[in-house]
Amino acid sequence: MGENSLGAILDARSVRKTYTFGALPVEVLRGADLAVNAGEWVAVLGSSGSGKSTLLHLMGGLDRPDAGDGEIHFRGSPIAATHGKRLDAYRNRDIGFVFQFYHLLPELNVLENAMLPAMIGNWFPNRARRKQAESAATALLESFGLGHRMLHRPAQLSGGERQRVAIARALANAPPVLLADEPTGNLDVKTGAGILDLLAKRHANGLTIVMVTHDPLVAARADRIVKLIDGQVETGCVLP
Amino acid sequence: MYAALLSNRYLTSRLIPFIAIAAVALCVALVVTVVSVMTGFLNMLKDSGRLIVGDVILSTGIGGMPYADEFVADLRGLSGVQGASPLIDTIGLLRMPYPVGNQKEIAHVQVWAVDPVSLATVTDYAEDLYWKPPADAAAKAAMAADDPRLQLDASILQDGARLIHSKTGTPGIALGMHVSVGNARQRDGSYLPRYGWFMPGHDVTLTVVPVSGSGKIAEPREQSFTVVNEVQTGIYEVDKNRVYIPLHEGQRLLRLDEAPLFDLSAEPDALGNYPIIGKTPARVTKILVRAKAGITARELRDRVEAEYFAFGKRMKSDPTRTAKMPEFVSVLTWEQQLRDLITPVEKEREMMRVLFSLIYLVCAGLILSIFWAIVIEKTRDIGILRSVGASRLGVLWIFLRYGLIIGVVGSALGVLLAWGVIRNINAIHEAIGSDAPPAIWIGTFVLAGLSALGLLRAIWVGKLLALLLWTLATGVLALVGTALALHHGTLIWDPSVYYFTIVPDQVDWTTAWSTALGGVLFSVIGAAIPAAKAADIDPVEALRYG
Repeated sequence: MGENSLGAILDARSVRKTYTFGALPVEVLRGADLAVNAGEWVAVLGSSGSGKSTLLHLMGGLDRPDAGDGEIHFRGSPIAATHGKRLDAYRNRDIGFVFQFYHLLPELNVLENAMLPAMIGNWFPNRARRKQAESAATALLESFGLGHRMLHRPAQLSGGERQRVAIARALANAPPVLLADEPTGNLDVKTGAGILDLLAKRHANGLTIVMVTHDPLVAARADRIVKLIDGQVETGCVLP
Repeated sequence: MYAALLSNRYLTSRLIPFIAIAAVALCVALVVTVVSVMTGFLNMLKDSGRLIVGDVILSTGIGGMPYADEFVADLRGLSGVQGASPLIDTIGLLRMPYPVGNQKEIAHVQVWAVDPVSLATVTDYAEDLYWKPPADAAAKAAMAADDPRLQLDASILQDGARLIHSKTGTPGIALGMHVSVGNARQRDGSYLPRYGWFMPGHDVTLTVVPVSGSGKIAEPREQSFTVVNEVQTGIYEVDKNRVYIPLHEGQRLLRLDEAPLFDLSAEPDALGNYPIIGKTPARVTKILVRAKAGITARELRDRVEAEYFAFGKRMKSDPTRTAKMPEFVSVLTWEQQLRDLITPVEKEREMMRVLFSLIYLVCAGLILSIFWAIVIEKTRDIGILRSVGASRLGVLWIFLRYGLIIGVVGSALGVLLAWGVIRNINAIHEAIGSDAPPAIWIGTFVLAGLSALGLLRAIWVGKLLALLLWTLATGVLALVGTALALHHGTLIWDPSVYYFTIVPDQVDWTTAWSTALGGVLFSVIGAAIPAAKAADIDPVEALRYG
């Protein structure tokens, strides 16, 4: 099934999510709705603990909404109904994640980190596929100005460089959607602006971006801003 | 392919996997070394055992078997038979020539009355005769002036091989090497005469008790023999108890020789004698048979058994044969015959294998705990991998593969280490039994001194871990150096005490491969539990808290 009638590539409908901390259930999302159109850059603005990251995890298939409470559709198909290999493939090919703390694997160098999704997609070692993945990752890293850092380990990079590697990794399999969780949250303003510029370039080439942030200035770079308050997306969206 | 990359990186980027590899290697090496040495001892025992009884042993009851010469001749004509030798196996008391005075020591012995010439075709009897004339002038020069071995000439071997004392013409007896107290075993496994009782040439008196076929005990009979040589078979139980005398002397002493056959149903003459109607043939109680190359002991046993029953039928159907063949005989292979000797050693080996194999559990536990710690440490990485599409199976495989590598590398190193130790076990044994070379213990003290410098530096910079490690290293090196300096050689298996001169130095490859396989298996089992835990980690939790 293609994109739905409204053109939404990713569509969260009345999503609820409750976490239990000890004996205490905490309802993080209380029927959140968010439809993201293909090629759109949406910023989800909210204070700390408002459920921004949870919404992103649900949209990225890392977590599931509470049973029977809401659905998330990717190109019209509910991802909550997807299991096992199909869900792994969704995270591997259709979605790219960028995290606030980069989350690079310290044992791998820059090139290997960037190649990781491509390698995960190929279960068996294959020299030709590895070469192909290596070429694609190299091109991506060079376009991000990291050509001279290919063989360095994450610990040898600056924060901005690490985040660029993380973005390169997220885009390694050329997914249509990028989910960014506070991508500039751990960077100074200037470096953060560089990262946002990089995202903007990709967005200009058609990449759909869902970015959560608590910083209105960062959110202002998006096409559309939605606020997440008390576990719900405010209906009156803010335009940047 | 990411699993291979990541497990290799996890392996090479930290010290702890190498500790796990070392642990697996030591476990495997320990099991392979212990079981190989035990198997070697068992094989030595079996080899020696076969060489003292041949391949197949036919035994009768105490009444013995008549017409043995004919049967032995038949056996020699049988295909697959290299040699056959009749003998009588009984027990006796041997009065030794020592100590000086009237009260002589009495030894209880197993008496083999043998035909030494045919025995040498079936067993290693001739090669087992221990005393030989000095090989050359150098060997003579190494002996003390009063050493009785200087008087030995070629007759010592000839007399032993014929069981006749050629100088006096008296019947000879060959004693097992440990029957008398006159032989002192040396650290190289050789023997020297001691207490002045070098046995060849001395007379001993053997007492045996004849027993009739019906089990009646007759008057004990004794005879004097001259010791013509001593025999070392390689099995202590045999060399401690057995003596060899000529077959005809044994038959005579035990009343198993040829004798007139009286007609007890007839009237005795005036002197009370019954009429003689024939002769009862001489008897033996055992026949040892040696197989030709390519014939197994089991095959030969079947042939000997069939031949015996065919021979028995012939004898029974021949009216001129007055003596009855025994209906029940046992025909055993050498392994069956010696099972009392072999089985305990086999059981000991299996017990050692089982006990040492428990080390596998330690190995698996060690890997489990190491991997558990690694999985905890790598929780965030697992979340990252899941977020970019890695499956649970993929995460599981990273850690299983990791365990597999540790198992394979550790087991291979363990087999290699065991091979190195076993092949050099006699040199190592010898080194343990000798004084430590000064260069080694001085070198150890030098290392202890250098380590002490490290300790001082650790105190200076105030690092607690470094302080602890350098203290341990200094203490251990100082202890080892002192132990080496004070060490004056302790042979674990001293040949003067234990009945073998070399430690077996062949790897039991069946054990080696099966142990290595066990090492791999238990490493994977040890890794499987943390791997499953890793696969079960919720990626959101991992990313949030990892």
